[in-house]
Amino acid sequence: MSGDLVVFDDVRKSFGEFVAVKQMNLTIGQGEFVAIMGPSGCGKTTTLRMLAGLEAPSTGEIRLDGRVMNDVKPHERDTPMVWQSLALFPFLSARENVEFGLRMRGVDKATRTSRAMDWLDRMGIAEFADRNVATLSGGQRQRVALARALVMEPQILLLDEPLSALDAHLVIRMQAVLTQLQRELGITFVYVTHSQSEAFAMADRVVIMSQGEIAQIGTPKEIYRAPANRFVAEFVGRNNILSGTVTAAEAGQARIATPSGTFTVHGTLTQGQRASFAVSADLVHVHSERPEAENTLGCRLLSEEFVGSVVTLFLESEDGHEFKVQMQERQLSQFDLKGGEALWLDWQAAHAHILDDG
Amino acid sequence: MTRNTKPDFYALSWRLPIIIWQALFFLGPIVFMIAMSFFLVKNYRMTEAFEFVNWGRMMTRGYFWDSYWHTIWIASLSTLCGMLIAFPVAYTLAFRASENTRRMAIFLLIIPFFTSYLVRTFSWFVILSESGVLNAMLGWVGLGPYTMLNTTFGTLVGYMTLTLPLVVILQTLAMANIDRSLVEAAHNLGCKPLQTIWRVILPLAKTGMIVAAVFCFILSFGDFVAPFYLGGSQDPTLPILIIDTTKSGQQWPRAAVVAIMMMLTLFAVAFAGIALAYRKRAMS
Repeated sequence: MSGDLVVFDDVRKSFGEFVAVKQMNLTIGQGEFVAIMGPSGCGKTTTLRMLAGLEAPSTGEIRLDGRVMNDVKPHERDTPMVWQSLALFPFLSARENVEFGLRMRGVDKATRTSRAMDWLDRMGIAEFADRNVATLSGGQRQRVALARALVMEPQILLLDEPLSALDAHLVIRMQAVLTQLQRELGITFVYVTHSQSEAFAMADRVVIMSQGEIAQIGTPKEIYRAPANRFVAEFVGRNNILSGTVTAAEAGQARIATPSGTFTVHGTLTQGQRASFAVSADLVHVHSERPEAENTLGCRLLSEEFVGSVVTLFLESEDGHEFKVQMQERQLSQFDLKGGEALWLDWQAAHAHILDDG
Repeated sequence: MTRNTKPDFYALSWRLPIIIWQALFFLGPIVFMIAMSFFLVKNYRMTEAFEFVNWGRMMTRGYFWDSYWHTIWIASLSTLCGMLIAFPVAYTLAFRASENTRRMAIFLLIIPFFTSYLVRTFSWFVILSESGVLNAMLGWVGLGPYTMLNTTFGTLVGYMTLTLPLVVILQTLAMANIDRSLVEAAHNLGCKPLQTIWRVILPLAKTGMIVAAVFCFILSFGDFVAPFYLGGSQDPTLPILIIDTTKSGQQWPRAAVVAIMMMLTLFAVAFAGIALAYRKRAMS
């Protein structure tokens, strides 16, 4: 990574009364794969569209490679985008779609055809070059859309939920294609998605947005293991979140009294303050007898969700709080579960992650 | 699956009214008109016959062909003007106006159809005549007066009165359904806003645009009112020729020949339009 490519400096975007993006400050490095993730309406697509010039920031400044972009028209930018709908031109063949941008730049016919064919070849769809895009499969159309953007040889590629219309097995394959392309080309990818698996599988850094604000920025692992706040903890993965009052605090350790019980966490807290912590569902263990451990809790099994080799158990504590536990299917088979039985949970204090917003 | 070959009388009873209507008011008159083109007129009275006299006479007369090509020319000119005048309006309604404004505008464009076309045509006299409103206004800036009635310009004004609201509506509908992300994708790939109209919007709206043009041509081609009242029936168009032929010596069979030629032309234009609109790209 050599320097900042994109800078959002106090950017705010409102549509009439509705504020889509509030005071955003974000820096994206050269050659970085950044995923912007959040629920619908969180402002992630608006952020991307501002980068492409399709929306203008209400206040603040967006800089691309040091240049202030606020008043640069979309067609004067070099920020090709891959749309959720792909937005391929139905009246053009696959090759003509890829040539479109070059044609607008006044590249001569022979050059643009050879460059378009190079890209179609690289994407493995050269044989469909003269086919109407409507006759191609979802995966092939996806590759045409990528080729159409990348043939422009941009510094940055914008992707707006490009895989959301594909079948699950194609999504995995396209993820591999995208990550490989990004590494080979060394350009910046900004990838907007609501899918955690897509963001975590591909991105160097993930930006989590909520209601127009950045909730957390970090590597996938940081966000997964150390969610900054309640929103991220709830949005990302299967986290168990408990809130309560700090009853004892000493060097690097604290006891938090929650309605479900009193638990030990690592971290600096002061006695009497409100605090919340999250424990990832895969770091909680299940026992049929009460174990000797730092943090234990008695629960009743409600239901289980079985997806391949991983099983999620849904349990309820005495005060009615729901807990989630993830484990391998083969680990589960040692218990003979029918539902409704009493079980014991335990987790290490080190795995309880304190949330910033109490 | 075997299909039930017995006639479904219930379904037929719903279709029957439209079939009868078509037979009585469309198919019947056409068959009669075709038959009539072979009739003879003796002593100002039409008599049943099967002679090619009328066809032979009309097809070899210079005045018929002059009128025929003139009508095609002026209807084409009307189509060109109508499409060009309507486009900026339709473009604005489709891409710049809000949903509510667009709905209101389309409603307002339907209103002219509630008033008689003849009445609307006559109102142009007040505006276009030598002492009319337009010449008075031009007079203030030291221009004119210009002769606008009884000219080709007058005819075109009449054609626009007839066709423009419909052409604007059809063009608006053709463009309003365009996926906005395609227009944005064009901008994103470096296409300038005006270029986008030619490169993306027109290819996407092609079918609707051709339908609008075909309607404009058909309405202008068959219109009697505009060329007669505003064009002063100089260089008679085919509808005027039909009226003249029936008036002069009760030549209904010859008028039928003109009418059939008009219908054939309109069918040809409509089919050419459809073929162009739905022409598929070569797929390999």
